Amino acid sequence: MSMLLEVSGVSVTFDGFRAINNLSINFAEAELRAIIGPNGAGKTTFMDIVTGKTKPDEGKVIWGEKNISLLGLSESQIAMEGIGRKFQKPTVFEDQTVRQNLAMALKNPRGPFAVLLHKKTERNAARIDAIADEIGLTESLTRRAGELSHGQKQWLEIGMLLAQEPRLLLVDEPAAGMTVEEREKTTDILRKAAQTRAVVVVEHDMEFVRRLDCKVTVLHEGAVLAEGSLDHVTSNQTVVDVYLGRGHA
Amino acid sequence: MRKSFISQNPSVLWFLLALSLFTLGVVMLSEVTGSNVISTSFVKTLGKTLCLCLVAIAMDVVWGYCGILSLGHFAFFGIGGYAIGMWLMYARTEAIVMDSLQAQVIPPTPQEISDAIGNQIFGVVGSSEFPLIWAFADGLFLQLLMVVLVPGVLALVFGWLAFRSRVTGVYLSILTQAMTLALSLYLFQNDSGLRGNNGLSGLQNIPGFEDTPQATISIVFFLASAVALGAGYVFFAWVVSGKMGSVIKGVRDNEARVRFLGYHVESYKLFVFTITAIISGIAGALYYPQAGIINPGEIAPIASIYLAVWVAIGGRGRLYGAVIGAAFVSLLSSWFTGGGAPDVNLGIYTIQWTDWWLVLLGVSFVAVTLFFPKGIGGLFDYLVRKPS
Repeated sequence: MSMLLEVSGVSVTFDGFRAINNLSINFAEAELRAIIGPNGAGKTTFMDIVTGKTKPDEGKVIWGEKNISLLGLSESQIAMEGIGRKFQKPTVFEDQTVRQNLAMALKNPRGPFAVLLHKKTERNAARIDAIADEIGLTESLTRRAGELSHGQKQWLEIGMLLAQEPRLLLVDEPAAGMTVEEREKTTDILRKAAQTRAVVVVEHDMEFVRRLDCKVTVLHEGAVLAEGSLDHVTSNQTVVDVYLGRGHA
Repeated sequence: MRKSFISQNPSVLWFLLALSLFTLGVVMLSEVTGSNVISTSFVKTLGKTLCLCLVAIAMDVVWGYCGILSLGHFAFFGIGGYAIGMWLMYARTEAIVMDSLQAQVIPPTPQEISDAIGNQIFGVVGSSEFPLIWAFADGLFLQLLMVVLVPGVLALVFGWLAFRSRVTGVYLSILTQAMTLALSLYLFQNDSGLRGNNGLSGLQNIPGFEDTPQATISIVFFLASAVALGAGYVFFAWVVSGKMGSVIKGVRDNEARVRFLGYHVESYKLFVFTITAIISGIAGALYYPQAGIINPGEIAPIASIYLAVWVAIGGRGRLYGAVIGAAFVSLLSSWFTGGGAPDVNLGIYTIQWTDWWLVLLGVSFVAVTLFFPKGIGGLFDYLVRKPS
């Protein structure tokens, strides 16, 4: 199977601290993957590298059928290539309505002049409605995003990612601070999204990862420690020692 | 589309209505209609105020909407003034020189004419040579092009360098202050080619209209300023509404998020910075013929800071707030510093407003920032309750 994203031999050092140490990890099309690991395992740094926020000291990041290297691209170019990212803290534009938030994210020409002369179309409106339905915010389209609850903001941000029509979705701790019902709904949204694209979820919460029911990669000290089903990795003694043993003792 | 633009921005209609009524009122009460209620000099003050309102809405777009606290936009205003001033001064001097040379028996050569004009203009700085930057000063059309081009290109180059290096926040503000300071210091030099600290003067005399009374000229410029302000308001209201407005407000609130949405943030900042610089240049080109003189002191760093103060007091992030702030504070300022306000005698000490106005302005600025972050324009929120 050809890979959508191939990260190989990547290392990053911050002031002498090796955040990512010779990391190699691959993602296929239409795959749901969870990345877990203790604090400082390099989960967020890994996302920073893929989205172009951090440049690695060495290693390769290869994307798509044409095997483009993402290392030479800027954040906005990488986003246009089809990689969407959801931050840990919900970051929506609170001053603007849910509809405006989604409209901004919709896949359309991104240049200043195209945006300045942008006209509202039926097609865009229909896409916004479809996404709003998917994330359950149809009734809130005209509300200011700042008025939404924490969970709704998280969904709006996932909706904005879907609107970008990415091929790879990087989601950082989507369930943080959510109630049980909200988590269930988030799981549904993510699993549905993963049917047509690759979705990578970075998560602390084991219960949430179990509910996602997907392949799990365990990061530790900037490298892959184990990979496989959740049951498989949790039966691995090293994993238990570095992560589960410490975290759940 | 047009209907939805107006219905989304009801303030545009109200603003245009208020501006038209104000303009009509001033014309009716001016000396041209013979009513003489408003003196020619006050018409000029009001016309200049309209130009300041225009540069203030440009400042509001770049700061209030896009979040770039530029403390250098008055430099673009000044450049616009210098650009138009060069033509005004050249054409008027040319007319005077031609008049005096007419009396000679032998017709003057073009070189003699050029030297005579140069001597008239640059005599004060001990030169008679035309510097290269005056190359287009003999044609109104080309010099009008300079009003747009010079601020535009300067903003484009400066902005490109600054935004590309991701200079943001207070560092960008300092950089823009440095830009306007450097420009001002450069212009203070006698060999800058723009008459050093003498600046350009006599700009109220419009070549070709020597016989037209200033009362008429002042009204023409007042009307032109009003039209420019109205057009600028509609233009900026259009820019900040719709999707462009969404993106630039997004840049203000969370630049990184906009970047990860796939927008090239630097292009947007550059677009806003440049377009506002151009409008500032146009505002300056209308202002200085009414002021009559421009010198490098006009673009000192403090001028751009005042601009930010006006917008803050008026209420940033709303175009009419910038207009209110600029009009209110600048008119109040000329009242206080022009000796309009009576001195306050406290017995042991007399408050002279010419000295104390700045203190009052500073205190108001701090008070507005602390207690009314939405500024004077925020009062409208109490008047207009939005149906929710």
